[in-house]
Amino acid sequence: MTSDVLPPRTRAPRSRTALRGLVVGAVLAVALLVLRAVSATWGADALPDRIRDFVTLSVSVVIESLPFVFLGILISVVVRFWVPDHVIHRIMPTNPALRRVVISLVGVLLPVCECGNVPLARGFMMKGFSVPEAMTFLLAAPILNPVTIVTTYQAFGWNDGILIGRIAGGFVIANLVGWLFSRHPRPELLLTPAFEEACRIGDGDHGHEHGRAGQLAKLRRGVVAFADETSTMLPALIVGSAIAGAIQVGLSRDVLTALGSNPIWSVLALMLLAFVIAICSNVDAFFILAFGSTFLPGGVVAFLVFGAMVDVKMITLLRTTFTTGALVRLVAVVALASLALGFGVNLLA
Amino acid sequence: MRDRLLTRWRGILLSLVGIVAIIWLAVTGQLGLYIHPRYYEFTVIMAVLAGVVVLAAFAIVPTATEADHDHGDADHDGHEHHDHAPDDHAPAPGDHEHAADVAAGDLGAAVPPPPPGRRRDLVWAGLAGVVILGTVGALLIVPPSTLTTATVDQRDLNASAAVTDTGATETLVGSDTSAFTIKDWASLLRQGAGEDYFAGKTATLTGFVTPDPTDPDDVFYVARFVVTCCAVDAQPVGVPVYLPGWQDSYAVDSWVEASGSFGTNPSTASSQPIVFEPADITPVDQPAEPYVY
Repeated sequence: MTSDVLPPRTRAPRSRTALRGLVVGAVLAVALLVLRAVSATWGADALPDRIRDFVTLSVSVVIESLPFVFLGILISVVVRFWVPDHVIHRIMPTNPALRRVVISLVGVLLPVCECGNVPLARGFMMKGFSVPEAMTFLLAAPILNPVTIVTTYQAFGWNDGILIGRIAGGFVIANLVGWLFSRHPRPELLLTPAFEEACRIGDGDHGHEHGRAGQLAKLRRGVVAFADETSTMLPALIVGSAIAGAIQVGLSRDVLTALGSNPIWSVLALMLLAFVIAICSNVDAFFILAFGSTFLPGGVVAFLVFGAMVDVKMITLLRTTFTTGALVRLVAVVALASLALGFGVNLLA
Repeated sequence: MRDRLLTRWRGILLSLVGIVAIIWLAVTGQLGLYIHPRYYEFTVIMAVLAGVVVLAAFAIVPTATEADHDHGDADHDGHEHHDHAPDDHAPAPGDHEHAADVAAGDLGAAVPPPPPGRRRDLVWAGLAGVVILGTVGALLIVPPSTLTTATVDQRDLNASAAVTDTGATETLVGSDTSAFTIKDWASLLRQGAGEDYFAGKTATLTGFVTPDPTDPDDVFYVARFVVTCCAVDAQPVGVPVYLPGWQDSYAVDSWVEASGSFGTNPSTASSQPIVFEPADITPVDQPAEPYVY
């Protein structure tokens, strides 16, 4: 296959190389399907239980997240190549704080899971969003989107201020983080050099491609951008899922649930649970509802806010884009704010 | 240039592995081993869409030119390293020389001499290879399977999902028991519906066998996992069955169908006041949908 990858030294016509690539891809897909069909008959009993469960848990995170990551990348590619820059500039306020407020509501229009938001945020930054704006989007969109709000309402109704705490807390924390990072003298230093470079080169719609040829060229670039984004995102997703699976197998959940009825420990324990369990914000309310009688409402709100913003899988995904230093600060601020929110709800409830 | 093109295949290959795994699970009806049914359609639709793009990538990426990726009208030098390791964990000082070298290699078609940043790239390429092989192993070679008793031990049987809320249990008390799942029975037992309620009730339960931690010799659970999103959040629920010496007949993690009624637990060691008294237990195959929701 590598011979296809090399520069077209052979000067073979593009269409023939393309056809050959297509055939290689189809053959490979069929070969993988055959491999899967054959290996499925082997029986999993040969593996020790713990290894088997580690694989099952990690694979479940991958199968759950992969469609959202694909969706995020596809929307990101569409935004980058097909939405003209001036459209975004026209609808966005010029005042930075107001811009962040509007950006924190963008999730209402793009209700994807938080893992799909990372490629989308990268697309927005390539499109000219600032780093603090992208962070605000990343933190707010998983909470301030219709699916999350509806499922949280279905799970908790108006009880104990959980729904209000989640929506208001998510909005305030996202904008607080955006504001804090906007004080940074050179926000571009918060990005990994590789991604910063990619942004600086500029991207997307240059306004000089029209007609059918232009659309075809855009399609080609869109497909290549999909390949580039999956190359960045998927290894991170897979490593993050493996870590999440390993923690699940290694950490006994009794320890966390035992701490649930203490006003202080319930908040910390549930934040830790949210961090390691790494489930999508769309459904985490149902999950934690199952623990509802064990945990205090402040712990539940902290779980719903912190877990939607940060978890072990998100960290590996975010690391593709932000430096370690930036992530440490981001997680610290979000964690402290979620703690304060959780304690506050416990005090009031 | 060459580095970058090789890097790009990483995402295409990983996507393909994931898509093949999803499609195969969907076709053979086994997606339920990993995710909640509400995601079936979305997952399959996204896999098919991504599959189309991945096939297109097989056609387009081999012939991709500068115009196709860097979108740049100018600025063609010095930026070449931007995706040689996008999951760059530690930007090393060698990065810039490397960038310059790759750029130089780009101009001359000949193979460039190994630049200083080369070793780091090899390490990353090796790690990427490990990730790809590991993904193939986990998604395409290890046979799909449900969670086992090892996970039950980690997650406190009947600790949570069964105790959803008392309102739901009150509804259960008044309703027809023939449609009850293990989750429903476990909720009733957990909420302490009382011996009066269970007197004369019969049930048929299908689940896997897992020992009662408080009296593993005499009592086992017919258990299921409750899933809200995907297998990672699975919570075990189960109904205790009193049957001294059960280990001789039924293996842990094997699936059984038990029918019978409820009664006081004769075991003094077990923490459960009420147990299922089976009239009949038959080994069965694992059902197509092993989890309950």
